[in-house]
Amino acid sequence: MLAYTLKRLLAGAITVWFIATATFIAMHQVPGDPLMNDKAVSAEIRKNLEQKYGLDKSATEQYFIFMGNMLRGDFGISFTQQNRRVNDIIRDHFPVSATLGLLAIFFAATGGVLWGALTAIYRNRMPDIIIMFLVILGISVPSFVFAALGQLLLVNINSMLGQSLIPVAGWGTFAHMLMPSLVLGLGTMAFLTRLMRSSMLEVVNEDYIKTARAKGLSPVRIFFRHQLRNAILPVITVLGPQIAAITTGGFVVELVFAIPGLGRYFVQAVQQLDYTVIMGTTVFYGAFLVFMVILVDIIYGFVDPRVRLE
Amino acid sequence: MSNRILEVEDLSVEFSTYGGDVKAVRGVSFGVTRGETLAIVGESGCGKSVTVQAIMGIIPMPPGRITGGSAKLDGNELLGLSAKEANQFRGIQIGMIFQDPMTSLNPTMRIGDQIAETLVVHRHKTYAEASRQAIDLLEKTHIPEAAKRVKQYPFEFSGGMLQRAMIAQSLACNPSILIADEPTTALDVTIQAQILELMCELQRTENMSIILITHDLAVVARMANEVAVMYAGQIVESGSVEDIFYESSHPYTLGLKSAMPSNTGDRDKKLTPIIGSPPDLFPPPQGCGYFARCPYAMRMCEDRQPVNFSVQGSEDHYARCWLQHEAAPAVAEVSQNSQDQSHAG
Repeated sequence: MLAYTLKRLLAGAITVWFIATATFIAMHQVPGDPLMNDKAVSAEIRKNLEQKYGLDKSATEQYFIFMGNMLRGDFGISFTQQNRRVNDIIRDHFPVSATLGLLAIFFAATGGVLWGALTAIYRNRMPDIIIMFLVILGISVPSFVFAALGQLLLVNINSMLGQSLIPVAGWGTFAHMLMPSLVLGLGTMAFLTRLMRSSMLEVVNEDYIKTARAKGLSPVRIFFRHQLRNAILPVITVLGPQIAAITTGGFVVELVFAIPGLGRYFVQAVQQLDYTVIMGTTVFYGAFLVFMVILVDIIYGFVDPRVRLE
Repeated sequence: MSNRILEVEDLSVEFSTYGGDVKAVRGVSFGVTRGETLAIVGESGCGKSVTVQAIMGIIPMPPGRITGGSAKLDGNELLGLSAKEANQFRGIQIGMIFQDPMTSLNPTMRIGDQIAETLVVHRHKTYAEASRQAIDLLEKTHIPEAAKRVKQYPFEFSGGMLQRAMIAQSLACNPSILIADEPTTALDVTIQAQILELMCELQRTENMSIILITHDLAVVARMANEVAVMYAGQIVESGSVEDIFYESSHPYTLGLKSAMPSNTGDRDKKLTPIIGSPPDLFPPPQGCGYFARCPYAMRMCEDRQPVNFSVQGSEDHYARCWLQHEAAPAVAEVSQNSQDQSHAG
């Protein structure tokens, strides 16, 4: 178990190194450089700036300097936000994105399992048809539409109550988190509902369910003790990548709800070719994704005894 | 107390499909004698499993539907019960084991817990008590190191061991009937023999009846007291094991026998398969279901459903074949000369 975890972490580290290298190469292929956006500067000032940020060195040299710093846990200084360290940007804004993302995944997972199980029980009957229609909406409508609709709903509720019960935007209290995390988790919830539904329908036809019925167990007991646990396995499998996708992909939702998450910096950095911020956020997100996948694999080993962590 | 612990009368089961209703079981009647073994024999798709699953109430409904008949356990009707009512006998009075032990146990639950569950639900024991009893049950089915084994998961067991665990689980509440639906089909031959031996042994020690579903006549000869041969959803011949093997009265029984390898006869002799395949059961054939494959088929067999003839006036040997009619021509291989049609239907 420990050996397995260490092995996975080592493989994960190699993955992160690969992500960093690939991003570095791709980033330097983009025409222009971080200083291009500045107002027209004289050749001399530009030379000084290049010297300051180390841009006068060759790409190979820059790569090794960056890698060395990264290993020491230092992602350097942002080009566009004067004197702000990339580490600080991540430290200040990632917890916001992570909180939002984890709450979203919580909504998505519980909702997905619940609705999926429900549709399987009511297969081809009204509740199933209604929920599966909503699922198609959830998968195909982009999140910014739901974000706007969610805000509209909150505005109406608040004006009806005559007081601001749930804030429409912003960040700070738990009430702030509810609507954005629900909106952010909606697509994943819809996807997990479909997965759970088909998985439930598959398990229903398994021989061991027939055995359980022949044993004289009640339908409720069969459902909870024999069906649910086996049906939930595929859902857990996809949860790792989904956690990462939600936590890192909340940019649009963060923007609509004015949430100071990391997503905005990530996107801005790419637009402005802010080398250090691009590298910092990408490597950090990459490491986060790899870690989540490993974590889910380890959890999977506890849920499914057939998976041996060796 | 009647000698018959289970009486099934005229059981019919249909399945609704997009193409129409499949009449999988068409008026099956049989009885199970206390402490004895009834073997139900027939090829795949003839309705053997559906028959016993209907009795247990574990046919998926819909699409399945029990359209008629009765099944009485010690005089109590089993068909048409609610899940709650059915759970008063399932796993308590009737235990059941299945064809493929590899997939018949919950893969994410410990073996011991799966056995204990039956006791917790039906005997209201605590899990600790039930788990101790699970060890005894595994020992009864000769699983070595049972105390260690109860903590393991199905994937840590071999096929034969899993079938033993299934048997242990079905015996938890001392059932009076064990239904074994092709219990050895998925196992290799040496393990088959061990499982059958175990079932014989437990039948003696637990004094239970067994309904054994199989397509293997060697297994029938070894285990059964009584035999029902099924074909196309009907029982075509029934009787004691001696009747079926030595006084075979239905061409299908003869066909099964000649398709069986023998270790006493000529080893170079080719086996004789039954040519063709069973008829489509929607709609079921108008006449005898075996007509198209029967070497002795007569003109009337095509469009007249044969009745159940008593063979040579016997009270428990019946054959559903027109050859048993007094006007039928003599066929050397078939045991004929039935007098009355006392069980017409």
